[in-house]
Amino acid sequence: MSMARQAEPAVDTPPAPGPKQTDGRTVRRSPVLRLLARPEVGVFLGAVAVVVFFLFAAPPVRDAGSMANILYQSSVIGIMALPVALLMIGGEFDLSAGVAVVTSALTASMLSYQLTMNVWMGVIVALAVSLGIGAFNGWMLVRTGLPSFLVTLGTFLILQGVNLAVTKLVTGNVATDDISDMDGFEQAKSLFASSFEVGGVQVKITVVWWLVFAALATWVLLRTKYGNWIFAVGGNKDSARAVGVPVTFTKISLFMLVGFGAWFVGMHNLFSFNTVQSGEGVGQELIYIAAAVIGGCLLTGGYGSAIGPVFGAFMFGMVQQGIVYAGWNPDWFKAFLGVMLLGAVLINLWVQRTATRR
Amino acid sequence: MDRSSHIRPRRIASFVAVAAAAALTLAGCSSGSGGKKSEEGGADASAGKASTPRMKVALVTHQAPGDTFWDIVRKGAEAAAAKDNVDLVYSADPNAGSQATLVQNAIDQKVDGIAVTLAKPDALKAVIAKANAAGIPVVGLNSGLTDWKELDLLEFFGQDESVAGEAFGKKLNEVGASNAVCVIHEQGNVGLTQRCDGVKKTFEGKTQILNVNGTDMPSVKSTITAKLKQDSAIDYVVTLGAPFAPTAVQSVGDAGSKAKVATFDLNKDLTKAIQAGDIQFAVDQQPYLQGYLAVDGLWLYKNNGNYSGGGEQPVLTGPAFVDKSNVDAVSQYAAKGTR
Amino acid sequence: MTDKTTSTPGGDRPLVELRAAGKSYGNIRALHGVDLTVHPGKVTCVLGDNGAGKSTLIKIISGLHQHTEGEFLVDGEPVRFSTPREALDRGIATVYQDLAVVPLMPVWRNFFLGSEMTKGPWPVRRLDIDRMKRTADEELRNMGIVLDDLEQPIGTLSGGQRQCVAIARAVYFGARVLILDEPTAALGVKQSGVVLKYIAMARDRGLGVIFITHNPHHAYMVGDHFSVLRLGTMELTASRSEVGLEELTNHMAGGAELTALKHELAQVRGVDTEELPGEGDLPAPVAATPEGKS
Repeated sequence: MSMARQAEPAVDTPPAPGPKQTDGRTVRRSPVLRLLARPEVGVFLGAVAVVVFFLFAAPPVRDAGSMANILYQSSVIGIMALPVALLMIGGEFDLSAGVAVVTSALTASMLSYQLTMNVWMGVIVALAVSLGIGAFNGWMLVRTGLPSFLVTLGTFLILQGVNLAVTKLVTGNVATDDISDMDGFEQAKSLFASSFEVGGVQVKITVVWWLVFAALATWVLLRTKYGNWIFAVGGNKDSARAVGVPVTFTKISLFMLVGFGAWFVGMHNLFSFNTVQSGEGVGQELIYIAAAVIGGCLLTGGYGSAIGPVFGAFMFGMVQQGIVYAGWNPDWFKAFLGVMLLGAVLINLWVQRTATRR
Repeated sequence: MDRSSHIRPRRIASFVAVAAAAALTLAGCSSGSGGKKSEEGGADASAGKASTPRMKVALVTHQAPGDTFWDIVRKGAEAAAAKDNVDLVYSADPNAGSQATLVQNAIDQKVDGIAVTLAKPDALKAVIAKANAAGIPVVGLNSGLTDWKELDLLEFFGQDESVAGEAFGKKLNEVGASNAVCVIHEQGNVGLTQRCDGVKKTFEGKTQILNVNGTDMPSVKSTITAKLKQDSAIDYVVTLGAPFAPTAVQSVGDAGSKAKVATFDLNKDLTKAIQAGDIQFAVDQQPYLQGYLAVDGLWLYKNNGNYSGGGEQPVLTGPAFVDKSNVDAVSQYAAKGTR
Repeated sequence: MTDKTTSTPGGDRPLVELRAAGKSYGNIRALHGVDLTVHPGKVTCVLGDNGAGKSTLIKIISGLHQHTEGEFLVDGEPVRFSTPREALDRGIATVYQDLAVVPLMPVWRNFFLGSEMTKGPWPVRRLDIDRMKRTADEELRNMGIVLDDLEQPIGTLSGGQRQCVAIARAVYFGARVLILDEPTAALGVKQSGVVLKYIAMARDRGLGVIFITHNPHHAYMVGDHFSVLRLGTMELTASRSEVGLEELTNHMAGGAELTALKHELAQVRGVDTEELPGEGDLPAPVAATPEGKS
């Protein structure tokens, strides 16, 4: 697409400036401060602060097995926090993420049981359903132009209701039937819900998946064209469209990524616990959003990272279990959780401000 | 916008082909074990229908959506309704104010009888008075053992969560427990709090409370594991809902603890676990019976003026303990989802 | 419609041409009867006050909207763009008033937005970040912008710098037609001068430039051809040789209407009508139909 250069310009263009001439107005900050200004680093320091705090306040945390437990809790939140964060960078929210996990698990379970099929069939159909829900959310958003908050609020209510009603209709109960004796169960369990030993400690496989997905998400976000599109679409959708970024495709695919995450966590839940309670999942979407925001993703979109939410999810799991390990009064559990999270976020903010002000 | 229309038939054809292939694949992959096919075709108990005139009964509970215990209450009520030629209208809301509104709704529908649960009696006092003033008999079930008479309810079926809790505590004493943790899966739920308080009252050992996030099972598992690690002296984990007991069993395994698991409420997966020895015992408050008696009681009152308890005493439906010694008798009913 | 465009010395076929084009939104006729041609190496200025229809005109040419009347030709063939991507592929680049940049993203990401450089085979096709940073730095330096850190969010640059980055981007990506939507509107005097200089440079590199502004002075400094839009239609279209700065300014300020009003005002005592331009002073408007006037 290069254009043919025409004859010498009539107006004298100024000679190109000499090599490496600088603007002269900015003073190069020390590398340490530049590092501190990155969003991931702030939340990393917040997470470190939280860990150190609980290492002191809760002796059982010092046990390796406890850390494995904390990592498990973090990983289950973290796997969903990743696509939710990507979506947030892309400028949108998904309030149906929590119940979508349960929808996926219910689909796989009921389909396999009622039709007496190999559970892998249920798993595959559940993937299709989850991706479909994501595509629906994205399509509704693009079609109507309504805020994603509203669109996914509607989906949230629909899914919550459908989860309850369809389960009751199909099984006669509010929970699904046990599928642990069906073909394919053990294989699927080893993929989604097994654990392995590391130095005498049982580590759940979701921790490994979480880190793998995080690495993938970071690579996609920072090193691919698609990642550039995500930032653009979240930062200024109209500008992005004007320069030729496929906005519709990006938004819909981001919602479908959330659907994929919901499927994965749903499968983990199913193969860990065999039966699925149809009323679960409500309220989880806020936890995913919290992990993403703590991890440095801007609520208004266009800024953030995929590594930050990893630490955000870890911080959440650490605080939630740390309170129990510390043996604090359980009545105050939720209040403690809120205070610790706010504290961690404030540390994050302070670090960033200090780094950019100097 | 210019869409080349000649592409469409080709696209549709390929889509149909993929869908057909998918359907065939699905049809071919059946499971050799488990599944619906292996379910025993147990005939549901069915009785004839009464020839009395059709009446309408409203059952208003404080169920949270998806709760397994209340689902069984509802099944009992529906069984009685089918037998008694009753049109049952079920509604529920865990929020006391909203529950009162639902009762008012029933009054406006001019039902022939109302059955309520008194989780928060003060909230329902006014609306029950209105029902009585409108000539609609009101019966209580499940919660409100100490309040039903004051509120002018006709009769009461069930027993309080507190009574169940106290019985549970006594049973813990019997099995020699010394340190029990009571797992509340919905902080602030009145019924669950009453159960744990009841346990604490009669249990001679140490009772601890643990709040977990009941809407996320992995979180429940992690939190119980953490508690077991925090206090290695815990020897009994008490869960307040049937779905949470198997999860507690997993947590005990994860934490490497020697604690045992016992629970309130029953479901079919639990009977298997009790048979296998993973769970020690379950308290069965017979929710099916509570729902059944409530509806049937209203039918009796309408057609013969009877009311149980003579206005003085409640009708107790439990608690009944289900452990290894008597689980077999119960398991076939649990399999149907009615125990 | 009388055609007032003069033939250019180069005799090139126009890159972009609008013939009696128009756009209606529902029952609102935003634009009608617009003739415009863009030749390579020439700057066509589109002037008009707010609400005259300038934005609608650009959106049609850049592919954001579609015209509902008349013809739109690129390289002599009629086109109908359904996305801005199509216009970009034909070499029509637009630098918008709000600049079509994403403020939070670094300069180099913005520079290559929508046309990122990649390396490696699929599925590990990744961004060629080093090359992009180097290229962006080079192109910006060629335009005279020196930035210490291309990682800084583009929102931290001054208005003039952002404009220049956007122009450099358009030039680099081989635009043949560059549309500038009120680039000097929010800038100070010195910055406006810089932008006008770059417009001249782009012209000298052989691009056809459409320069939209409501400032006739700026327009006159670089323009080869002027079209004035008023209430959705062309009121004046003339080349540099046919119209002077003063006439242009008068036209912009509603001079034609005031002239018609002059007669009326002359009858009222106490109103000085001497300074107002007389009828003979202004070139005749293109559309002399009375319905076009308020």
